Amino acid sequence: MTRNHILRNTALALPFAGALLVSFSTAQSAATDSTQLGAQIVAQGTANGAIACARCHGFDGQADGSGAFPKLAGQFPQYLAKQLRAYASGTRQNALMEPIAKGLKDAEIDSVAQYYASLHPSTLPSRPVAAQLVARGEQLAKLGDLNLRVQACESCHGPNGQGEPPAVPYLAGQYSHYINFQIQMFRQGIRKSQQMQDPAHSLREPDIVAVAAYFERASRNGAK
Amino acid sequence: MPQTLKEVDVVVIGVGFAGSILAKELAATGLKVVGLERGHTRHSVPDFQAPAIHDELKYSVRKGMMQDVTREAMTFRNQHREVALPMRQWEAFLPGTGLGGCGVHWNGQAWRYQVADFIYKTHIEQRYGKKIVDPDLRIQDWGVTYQELEPYYDRFEYLLGVCGKAGNLNGKIEQGGNPLEAPRSREYPNPPMKEQYAGALFRKAATDLGYHPFLQPSANMTRPYTNPEGLTLNPCVYCGFCERYGCEHFAKASPQTVILPVLMKNPNFELRTESQVLRINLDSSGKKATGVNYMDAQGREFEQPASLVLLTAFALNDVRMLLLSGIGKPYDPVTEKGVVGRNYAYQTQSYVPAFLKEDIHLNSFMAAGASGTVIDDFSADNFDHSALGFIGGCYVLCGSTNARPIEFHPTPPGTPRWGRQWKEAVRRHYNHTAVFNLSGTSTASRWNYLDLDPTYRDAWGLPLLRMTFDFPENDLRMSRYVTNKASEIARRMGATTVVDEPRTGPFTTTTYQSTHNTGGAIIGSDPATSVVNRYCQTWDVPNVFVVGACNYPQNSSYNPTGTLGALIYWTADALKSRYLKNPGPLV
Repeated sequence: MTRNHILRNTALALPFAGALLVSFSTAQSAATDSTQLGAQIVAQGTANGAIACARCHGFDGQADGSGAFPKLAGQFPQYLAKQLRAYASGTRQNALMEPIAKGLKDAEIDSVAQYYASLHPSTLPSRPVAAQLVARGEQLAKLGDLNLRVQACESCHGPNGQGEPPAVPYLAGQYSHYINFQIQMFRQGIRKSQQMQDPAHSLREPDIVAVAAYFERASRNGAK
Repeated sequence: MPQTLKEVDVVVIGVGFAGSILAKELAATGLKVVGLERGHTRHSVPDFQAPAIHDELKYSVRKGMMQDVTREAMTFRNQHREVALPMRQWEAFLPGTGLGGCGVHWNGQAWRYQVADFIYKTHIEQRYGKKIVDPDLRIQDWGVTYQELEPYYDRFEYLLGVCGKAGNLNGKIEQGGNPLEAPRSREYPNPPMKEQYAGALFRKAATDLGYHPFLQPSANMTRPYTNPEGLTLNPCVYCGFCERYGCEHFAKASPQTVILPVLMKNPNFELRTESQVLRINLDSSGKKATGVNYMDAQGREFEQPASLVLLTAFALNDVRMLLLSGIGKPYDPVTEKGVVGRNYAYQTQSYVPAFLKEDIHLNSFMAAGASGTVIDDFSADNFDHSALGFIGGCYVLCGSTNARPIEFHPTPPGTPRWGRQWKEAVRRHYNHTAVFNLSGTSTASRWNYLDLDPTYRDAWGLPLLRMTFDFPENDLRMSRYVTNKASEIARRMGATTVVDEPRTGPFTTTTYQSTHNTGGAIIGSDPATSVVNRYCQTWDVPNVFVVGACNYPQNSSYNPTGTLGALIYWTADALKSRYLKNPGPLV
């Protein structure tokens, strides 16, 4: 290929590249604005009565190691927004979250979701647990259990629990207490999901503890 | 010298849907049942779990779940006068192997046949006269009617948890279902699947043209479902890995998810995998089976005596086993004497790719094996053929069963087969092409049949099955007519390019069409033209029953599994309520 040939092609390609750059940067700045609005709500709450998300979930989306509140950093924005709307409509029940979600306008829900999604989750040190427990959790996560008729969690939640965006949340690094609690909610039918209903019912209590312990220690690909 | 094992009551050859259901029913009566399966044991956990199961190269391209052609192939020819050659890899159709059989890797399309299908000869001749049937065609009645099978269809559908909406409840037409279906006695156990975007576009166009679109019946669950055996299935996630794959979610009805766990718990049942049955043994009279001989994975031969033998392998292998065992007289197309191998039929498939505008994003990868939108207006004998010069028809289905990256790249005619232009065309059309699938009747013909190959043998030294098949002219005329009708719907959908691809002859084994191989051990009321009586019992050896799609005298438009399920429970009932009390011919 000659130098002229390359130049000619480059010249042809340039106007298109320019157009792409313009439209990309427009889209990006809209997203940035929204994320900034999200950050503000997370830090300050809204005038409509939504308290600052940071109070429980942290400004960095890490919450704390107690697992009373989930880690949100890096969670998929569509998933987070869907959960907020579910709290607002009452399809997902939670006395704390319901009034907060109701205090957010539609665009604010998306903004908050985008803000938390833009953060990188970090892994906090876990309490030591028996290696056997984590091993059992890993077995359930990666293979499932034929006798319990439970498929591998990672069939939907992705390798190492890294999630399957947009619909399926990541579990890697999520606090075990929170995972455990959510499985119990699915089990009791308080939190509703057709996909989770049966596995949550079929797992035995020690299995739930095991799988939660495994995912808390799993490392999400790409997590910094 | 084969080692002779302790006698059992029942030997089941092939543990798929038919084998596992019949074994379950008989073991529950207290009989000792042995299931012989040539393939491996496999279960939802660990064998079907992601990500390993989503290996398109292994399972789709290299046919990971299919019969091993290096050990057991088949030979093929189009015409009786030709020399058949072995198929060295599976392409046109895919005989499964392993525990669960084809029930593991099927799409879950769970249809019923029409009332007229079971009385096909009578019905066609009454409606159109004898002249409409080409001289070489050999259509037949089943000897069992839809009305008789209805309760057994129902039972099978509730076992599987079939998802759909009734269109005809006891003769009353229901909104939202298929108004052209045969009457059913109750609603489907589960609601229909989600409609794909392509299916929604098709629904609108088909409705505009006066047709009756509906969501196809599916054995991929739409909600958690506990079947009458107490086994719970999970909802499908529309991952697009049904056909040729096992389901990791316990969402697709398969022997593993709907019946095997119950069967395996019964101590009266023993499963022996990697057990290759060589023949069914007959006594000196040739009228009674004494058991089977099989070889295990170490090459040790065993004789397993049994008082009842159930042949429930893949349709083609059932026919071969009868021929290898000398049960029933082999069919000769020249003299038309003999029955085993007679009326081999297939499925007359065609496709209509509809290339849509680039702003229509179909996301066809969000699919299940049976999530298509269908019209039944041109199926079987659902329309008037008086002036058409052929019998039979196709259902027209729009919707994807997958859109997997290796196999699915639709390009319009004239696109180069490789290189930059090909890649550009794939990029342009991948997400904007709806492919219609037309599943058509296959009419049995005098010259289409199965027998043993005179030359080629398998790894155990036994003759291979030889298939002689080409599409009858009648079926090609039928395909042309219905494919043209389907193209009109595609144009109505606003497709920029519509490719009208009716099925053309000759039949070739080198491109996938369908694994609906039917006939060869057909059901009927006359021993001169059928292998089994109306209870799937062989005429010649009353303690051998054959249950499979090999029983179908000709094939209808629909996927055969639902009807096979009805035959399985129908036969189970005949065995339990009549045969066991008084072993002998049921007719």
